[in-house]
Amino acid sequence: MAKPLRDLHDVELAGLAAGGGRREFGELVRRHGSAVRGLLRRMGAQPALADDVAQDAFLLAFEKCAEFRSEGTFAAWIKRIAARLYLKRISKEARYVAESETEHVAPVVDSIGRVDLDEALKGLSEAERLCVSLCHGAGLSHPEIAAAMNLPLGTVKSHVKRGLDKLRARLQPGPVALGSASHVG
Amino acid sequence: MSADEFDPAIERLFAQAPQFPDSVFFEADVAARLNKASRFRSMALSVAGLAGGVIAVRELLNVNFHLGPNSFTAEAGAGSLDSAGAQGGLALQSLLERSGLGDAALSAMGSMGGMQMFWATAGVLVALLAAGAVKLSQQI
Repeated sequence: MAKPLRDLHDVELAGLAAGGGRREFGELVRRHGSAVRGLLRRMGAQPALADDVAQDAFLLAFEKCAEFRSEGTFAAWIKRIAARLYLKRISKEARYVAESETEHVAPVVDSIGRVDLDEALKGLSEAERLCVSLCHGAGLSHPEIAAAMNLPLGTVKSHVKRGLDKLRARLQPGPVALGSASHVG
Repeated sequence: MSADEFDPAIERLFAQAPQFPDSVFFEADVAARLNKASRFRSMALSVAGLAGGVIAVRELLNVNFHLGPNSFTAEAGAGSLDSAGAQGGLALQSLLERSGLGDAALSAMGSMGGMQMFWATAGVLVALLAAGAVKLSQQI
C-alpha cells in the first residue's frame, strides 16, 4: 500500500513530481509555499508580486523537477529559483537603493521578547535587504549574488555587512528571543 | 551580540517560514496554473499530431509506388530469382530508390518519388511520435 503523501520525504515527492505527479508536487507546494512567499516578501516584494513570483517559481520547479538533485534540500532549491525569478522581474527597473530608506533603529522586539525579522528588514535599504535575504534566506553565495544582481563582489559584501550590522542593532537584545517564529498577515 | 553569535541566529530566523492565512488559496492557485499548463500542452501536442497526420495522409495519397507487375523488367531483376521473388525484390528496390537509398545513379536522375516517400515517412513518424506524446501526457 502506498504511503500517504505527508509521510513521503521531499526527495521522494520531487522524484514522483519529476514523473509528472501533480498531487505529489502539490504536497511540496503545501510544505514550502509559505517559506518561498515569506522569502520574497523579506526581499522586499509587495505581497501580490511576491505571490505571483512564488507561483511562477513553483511552476518552473515542476518543469525542472527532474533536475533537482538531492544534494541540497528541496526548500533551498525552490528558494533559489524564486529569488532568481524575483531578481529577473525587478532587474528591468534595476535601481537598487544604496542608502537606507528609514534610519530608525529602534529594537523590533515585542512585549514578550519575540523578534520580528520582517519588521527589522524594513530598516535596511533595498540593496542591503536584497543582499542579506539572498545570502541568508536563499542561500546564495556572495559571488552568486554579485552575478545575479550585476553588482561588483565588493559592493555585495559591503551591502551584506551593513545590512547585518543594522539587523544586529535592531534585533537587540535578541539572543533569548531569536528562535521565535514571526507571523505575517 | 557578536557577529559570530549573530550569523547563526539570523540564519535561524530566515529559516522560519511565516504563517500565511491564505496558504490554501495559494496552493489552489498553483494547482490551477499547473492544470492549465498541462491542458495547453496536451492541446498543442494534439494539434501537432493532427497536423502531422494530415500531412502524412496527404503525402501517402500522392505517392505512386509502381509496385504492379508492369514495373518489372528483366534487366532490373536478379536473374537467379523466381518471378515472385523478383517482383518482391523489385518492389524493395523501388522503395529504396524512392526513399533515396537506392542506386546512386538512379537517384541522380532526379526522380521526385524519393522525396515524396521521405516526406510521407517523416509525416508518419511525426504523427506517431505526437500521438505517443499525447498519450503519455494524458497518462501522467
